[in-house]
Amino acid sequence: MESERSDSPPSGSAPVAEVFNSIRERSIAENSMVVLLQGLQGEVTTVELRNESSARGRVVNVDAFMNVRLDDVTYKDRQGKSSQLQDMFITGRNIRYVHIPDHVDIMKTIEGHLAKIHRVRNFGSKGGGRKEYAKKAK
Amino acid sequence: MADEVEQPPSTNTVEEPLDLIRLSLDERIYVKMRNDRELRGRLHAYDQHLNMILGDVEETVTTVEIDEETYEELYKRNIPMLFVRGDGVVLVAPPLRVG
Repeated sequence: MESERSDSPPSGSAPVAEVFNSIRERSIAENSMVVLLQGLQGEVTTVELRNESSARGRVVNVDAFMNVRLDDVTYKDRQGKSSQLQDMFITGRNIRYVHIPDHVDIMKTIEGHLAKIHRVRNFGSKGGGRKEYAKKAK
Repeated sequence: MADEVEQPPSTNTVEEPLDLIRLSLDERIYVKMRNDRELRGRLHAYDQHLNMILGDVEETVTTVEIDEETYEELYKRNIPMLFVRGDGVVLVAPPLRVG
């Protein structure tokens, strides 16, 4: 239905951040801290799960519900046993912590990702664009 | 460059419980979590779900083993910057003063 704008090419060397394709996800995300996790796309981080296991890998995508896709994952189960996984999907509900890499500037990441969301929202002509909410009368 | 969406005005008054957390922004806080975990760190950001960003965090996991004598084991570790998912948070408070 909605055109798939801002879709990234499949696993390129420099991953382009994807923006959601649904209005609902955009609204949910921009009002919560999930935007920070979305800005982490492309970074290697550790995600700790509620079941005491952890997964360290590169963040491919995070959606508004905090579901996370990771690439090149080292998964350590609660006993400490490691295994290598190429691709992993973690349900948002199962996440306890996400480690933020030291070099990430939080404010910049959040502002950058919010700008991407707003760019998608305003895609189109200057006066038009997707009418996701009523615009202030000029 | 005019905003096309009205931003909610940020108030300085405390109106609802979440505003009390706002007062602790950039301060060190104590967070009690489910599964006998506690975090002490500097609150950088939070949202309505109580997802939080904590800096310089010390996580304490308390395990109580009931053998013949009960004993308590504390497992601590430090993490420089952590995103905490809100559904694990039980309470948020200023750091406890010991003694």
